[in-house]
Amino acid sequence: MSQEVAGVEVLKVVLPGDEVLQYNPDRNKERIFIGPGLRWEDNVIRATRPGLLKKTLKRLYYVDSHQKRYIPQKREFVIGTVLKKKGDNYIIDIGASEQATISYLSFENASKKTKKEMKVGDLIFGQLLVANKDMEPELVCIDTYDRAVGMGPLPEGGLLFNVSLHVARLIVNPKNSFLLTISKMFKYTIVVGFNGRIWVKAKKQGEMVAIMNCILMLEVMTLEEANENALRVLSSFSQHNSKEATC
Amino acid sequence: MSKHACELNFLSRSDGSALYSIGNTVALASVNGPGEVKKFNRLYNRAYLEVSYSPSTGQSMIGERALESVITRTVEQVILVHLHPRTAVNVTIQEMQSDGLELSTSVNAACLSLLDAGVQMKSTFAAVTCCLTPSSTILIEPTAAEMKESVAVATFVLDGQALNVLSAHQEGCLNAENFNACLKACQTAAKDVFNFYRQALEKKYHTCNEIS
Repeated sequence: MSQEVAGVEVLKVVLPGDEVLQYNPDRNKERIFIGPGLRWEDNVIRATRPGLLKKTLKRLYYVDSHQKRYIPQKREFVIGTVLKKKGDNYIIDIGASEQATISYLSFENASKKTKKEMKVGDLIFGQLLVANKDMEPELVCIDTYDRAVGMGPLPEGGLLFNVSLHVARLIVNPKNSFLLTISKMFKYTIVVGFNGRIWVKAKKQGEMVAIMNCILMLEVMTLEEANENALRVLSSFSQHNSKEATC
Repeated sequence: MSKHACELNFLSRSDGSALYSIGNTVALASVNGPGEVKKFNRLYNRAYLEVSYSPSTGQSMIGERALESVITRTVEQVILVHLHPRTAVNVTIQEMQSDGLELSTSVNAACLSLLDAGVQMKSTFAAVTCCLTPSSTILIEPTAAEMKESVAVATFVLDGQALNVLSAHQEGCLNAENFNACLKACQTAAKDVFNFYRQALEKKYHTCNEIS
């Protein structure tokens, strides 16, 4: 009962404690890779989270679970809110159990003389440089070559909302055309954080709310159903708008 | 045996929640975590687990505290607490309706809500209550009326892999032979509970997207 979609095979639904496979490094010649949601103990690989067990072409096994709580992972892009300034760092809330810090030097073209000024409540899109269970998470807004590559504070006038983590991963996947479907109706800018926070900006407030409702549909429906419903909702919204203009 | 029913993700603001019932006993469990923890409860190497239980009527008193400590000590054995140091996992259980099976309904609701939240665990767990009647028959998941007539009531919480005992709670008089008979009966009944969990989660994951 497995399906193959673009090189990722969906095996089955697993519960914590379910045995995935037996693996003894002395006996099994082939190397396999274990991803999130799995644990190797006593030569048996067991699931630790409920979800869909998946396997990629490169023999990577992982459990894809639906969660709302974000647990920081290194190299993930997240949207944070500035809470306060503490010495040379800003304290940012990323929705995790601990707050993240970002140094004022971690922005493009920042130096000790030209500091990046941010107010409390500003939104920031950055990448987690340090994120493990023992240390406080650290964000940066530059890559290894000191370029911003789209990171940094987000402009004013957008709409920020929360979704489950799997919905954020779903819309970011280039194989899913959900965001393209919405773009047929409106022009908009979107920033998706892996911590479940999504920021949308469009010309009118009504359009931003309509886009937010379309994305929230993915929490309860499959991608196909959401695609159909989204077009219907957005076209009725723009019809209503054009009626107002003619009245 | 009474009917089991559940609805996952019942509360929109919790990380995980489950409305669960066995017969006429209904409990609502909600999980938040791993999240922020007060300085007083912070543990350097593991997550702090807090269980809170509210009865359907009346104030929360010593009986509810006892129930909370049984559930805490059971759940602590199962959650992988060492993966989330300096955090807290809060489990809140609200009793909606009671027909005598508070302990097992609360424990099972807690397990379903932890599964809904995706907190990492070693295995699933299930509680089964049974009572021993004066004529030495064992009734699984009795009603309050049946428990009143019984000689002893025993609740076992079993783990999902090998059906080992995680905790046992007993009221009344049980000799060794009857205790073992009750344990065996509960272990058999627990398999149905684990199948129920599996069906509930398969339903959750198959009505949602599989492309990710």
